[in-house]
Amino acid sequence: MVRHNNQLPTNLPQLQNLLKRDPASYKDEFMQQYRHYISTKLVFEMKPDQYNKDLDDLVMFLAQVSHCFSQDLLSYPQELMDILQRHPTTLHPDMRKTFCRALILLRNKNLISPTALLTLFFQLLRCPDKELRAFLKNHIITDIKNVNSKSKNIKLNNVLQNFMFAMLKDSNVTAAKMSLDVMIDLYKKNIWNDQKTVNVIATACLSKTTKIMVAALQFFMGSDEKEEDSDSEAENENVIIREVGMAARVNKKSRKREKQMERVKKTLKKRSNSKKAPVFNFSAIHLVRDPQSFAEQLFKHVEGMNERFEVKVMALDVISRLIGIHQLFIFNFYPYLNRFLQPHQRDVTKMLLFAAQASHELLPPDVLETVVSAIVSNFVTERNSAEVMAVGLNSIREICARCPLVMNADLLRELVEYRTSKQKSVMMASRSILQLYRIINPEMLPRKERGRPTEAMSELGIRAYGAVDAKGYIPGAEALNPDVEGAAAEDEKEESEDESDGWEDVSQSDDEGWVNVSHSDDGEEVESDSDADGSDEDEDDDEEEVDSDEEVDSDEEDGDDGSEASGDDSDEEEGSEEESEDGGTIETKVARPLSKREKKKQKRINRDIKRSKKKTVAAAEDPTLIEERKSKAAVVSLSRILTDKDFAKIDAAQVKKQLDASKARQKRKLPDDLDDTIKRGELVRLDDIEKVYKKRRHDKDSRLTTVLEGRADREKPSRKPKRQNPNASTTNREKSKKKNFMMLKQKAKGKLKRSFKDKQITLRNALLKQKKMGLRK
Amino acid sequence: MSSKVSRDTLYEAVNNMLSQSKEKKRKFTETVEIQFGLKNYDPQKDKRFSGTVKLKHIPRPAMKVCILGDQQHCDEANANNLPCMDAEALKKLNKNKKLVKQLAKKYDAFLASEALIKQIPRLLGPGLNKAGKFPGPLTHSDSMVQKVEEVKGTIKFQMKKVLCLCVAVGHVTMSADDLAQNIHLSINFLVSLLKKHWQNVRSIHIKTTMGVPQRLY
Repeated sequence: MVRHNNQLPTNLPQLQNLLKRDPASYKDEFMQQYRHYISTKLVFEMKPDQYNKDLDDLVMFLAQVSHCFSQDLLSYPQELMDILQRHPTTLHPDMRKTFCRALILLRNKNLISPTALLTLFFQLLRCPDKELRAFLKNHIITDIKNVNSKSKNIKLNNVLQNFMFAMLKDSNVTAAKMSLDVMIDLYKKNIWNDQKTVNVIATACLSKTTKIMVAALQFFMGSDEKEEDSDSEAENENVIIREVGMAARVNKKSRKREKQMERVKKTLKKRSNSKKAPVFNFSAIHLVRDPQSFAEQLFKHVEGMNERFEVKVMALDVISRLIGIHQLFIFNFYPYLNRFLQPHQRDVTKMLLFAAQASHELLPPDVLETVVSAIVSNFVTERNSAEVMAVGLNSIREICARCPLVMNADLLRELVEYRTSKQKSVMMASRSILQLYRIINPEMLPRKERGRPTEAMSELGIRAYGAVDAKGYIPGAEALNPDVEGAAAEDEKEESEDESDGWEDVSQSDDEGWVNVSHSDDGEEVESDSDADGSDEDEDDDEEEVDSDEEVDSDEEDGDDGSEASGDDSDEEEGSEEESEDGGTIETKVARPLSKREKKKQKRINRDIKRSKKKTVAAAEDPTLIEERKSKAAVVSLSRILTDKDFAKIDAAQVKKQLDASKARQKRKLPDDLDDTIKRGELVRLDDIEKVYKKRRHDKDSRLTTVLEGRADREKPSRKPKRQNPNASTTNREKSKKKNFMMLKQKAKGKLKRSFKDKQITLRNALLKQKKMGLRK
Repeated sequence: MSSKVSRDTLYEAVNNMLSQSKEKKRKFTETVEIQFGLKNYDPQKDKRFSGTVKLKHIPRPAMKVCILGDQQHCDEANANNLPCMDAEALKKLNKNKKLVKQLAKKYDAFLASEALIKQIPRLLGPGLNKAGKFPGPLTHSDSMVQKVEEVKGTIKFQMKKVLCLCVAVGHVTMSADDLAQNIHLSINFLVSLLKKHWQNVRSIHIKTTMGVPQRLY
């Protein structure tokens, strides 16, 4: 006991241990240490730049036990902070770090308010001490995270954000950068994901210091890369599960392995449970408060910037994103960008990407036309290599997808002409433009490139500049039955679906239009039967139809667009129309498929008559059909609230419209990227522009590897003559090759000599042959 | 599967709302708004949607539409008693941000003649666009009054910085049936815009300007 007592004043860890267990009974010892601390502190303040071991230990000791004597140590935190504030830079680094750690300890015990401490720490970030700065940054982030973990402490956040805002303008670059890093980190961790943070970071984009500017720009560029990480993580998990499961099945069973398996399962389960519903937040660029002026300022900044090229590229990227997403008008941006649109420009694909990103619907076409024409003249010319052309075409496609009005028919024709190019990359790029315009504005394409008309085309019209596409109905809603109410009607709908199945292969999209009419009719059975027959012949019919169509096209040169857009559809309609003129009732219209083949014949015979009628009838017929569909859709969408099932049907109907009406069955699958071309994200991907289809030529190394690969399972070449039976003995001829020449000398000589008779015979034969040849001539 | 919002609940809510607004008359015609809360929607990943739909009945008859037109359109507008401005008047604004902002504030929507519309961004700068009031085109062939009505009937769904939307779909002097039709169309339209349709909808409320919100879904 005596010994114990004696040791206590010097053995701080033990005292600490005892104090924590029973603070009341060791109060005296504690007070003794506290007094000691006060005196050493006074000594230390004389020379703050010298390390003081005693003080170091004491400070940590007091911080550790502070929660037991919070009353006595009321002024203690403030004292430490005062020291740090008074000599932030002159303090001995180790001492400074000790003070900070003590303060953090106190903070964790909740004995200091976060604001006071964090402001102090931000000031300390100015210290030329890398280690300390990293340490403090870490603490700041975790502390703010902890404060906001349960519910957001808005008041505190406000104070800190204001403070950081001030810090960004600090003369000390490292401190400013640090506070920016802290903010970005907190944003990424979803703690400070509000507008204010984003806008503070936005101001940092305009900073004069490159480092700060780059960090801020990267923040705006890179905020959509996170998803991929999580994807790969999930993939990893799957791999782990599979591997462990396989090992458990294959390996020898043992208790240890069983336990291991259990543990893996448990942890994975825990992890999947802990994954809450993902937190959804807007990407930073959406949260910028006044994008127009921000982008303008940033652009001005870039114009006068004298930084490295990479930095410029980043800034341009952010500007183009801002323009594209917020639909801004910055007219100077495009001429500026034009300067960089040269094939030999560094990072030219990025520049093209920016051009595409910075295009949007509200931009006046003449502004973008300069960009497009620059791309065309610099990239899409025969003198350039295939890749350059392809990249140019791809970027034009992206621009046009976002702003269809920049294109004019002449240019489009020129671009589409490359679809027959020998180079695959150019061909593919040109085709992608063709594909795009088939969807967005087929009228602009040369007539023969428009493709088979689909129903979707008839509904689509190019929008004038600034027009909004406001419909009074939900497109595709005409696929639903208007008078469906409740469950009974639901059955009815099922029925009607069944009926329509029979129809589907003849004219896929038309059936909905007709279901209602046929509903009450008796002729249904007959119709579906006739369909079954008709579908066999369908393909042939199609061929003919195409032919006849083209003929018609070439015949009438001034053909009106309305009938053309609806194409085959309207042709069929005419047919039925004609018949209805003959038969005169609606029923013939309904039974249209029955007479389809007959109609074809009739069509051919009566083509002349028809041609005269065509313009009038088709033009009158087609709009009414569309109008009817529209009104039906309007009725449906006005009268009830659609269910998920209904929406599934609507989606299906919309897809059907995309299909070719005249084709019986889709032989080829629809291109996968059809969807992509319709629904584009807000940002253009670099892949879209760099997508150059090319089979590269081998360089020497890769050629060699393929050669070696080919040789791998080929046996070594041998000099041995090839025999059918490898075990057979050698022939005399082979043997003679190995023998000494002197042994064969006689034989070799003998061969040369021929008898006189032999010579005579050969001569005679030769002469005879010559004669024969001469005769043949 | 029956529909998410039955006809009865909708009519009940609408009638409730109308009766409430009648009980406590305000000094203005209250607007009926519909509010959507969304869920499971990642604004970063999914494309931010915006869509416009034309309602059958005009939700806000008091909406002011200004014509930015050439000579012919201006004459027509004057004849129809519609506010109008010509290119000269626009040039006078001189891209002055304040004036453009005032102009944008003064009217609820704009229509511009075809010849003029392409110059609008140059004449006025980004001010109109900033306010979300970029003019629609107006040709000589279509009737001005009809076009104006169309613009008045058009509502715009646009998600801004939060996961909820609010649009005006009518006013309290409309009949319950008309209101119901408008509500049907706007709900259907919004839900059709969403990727997973009803699975993305958290809640739907309707309310009058000063009234209590009525939950539909």
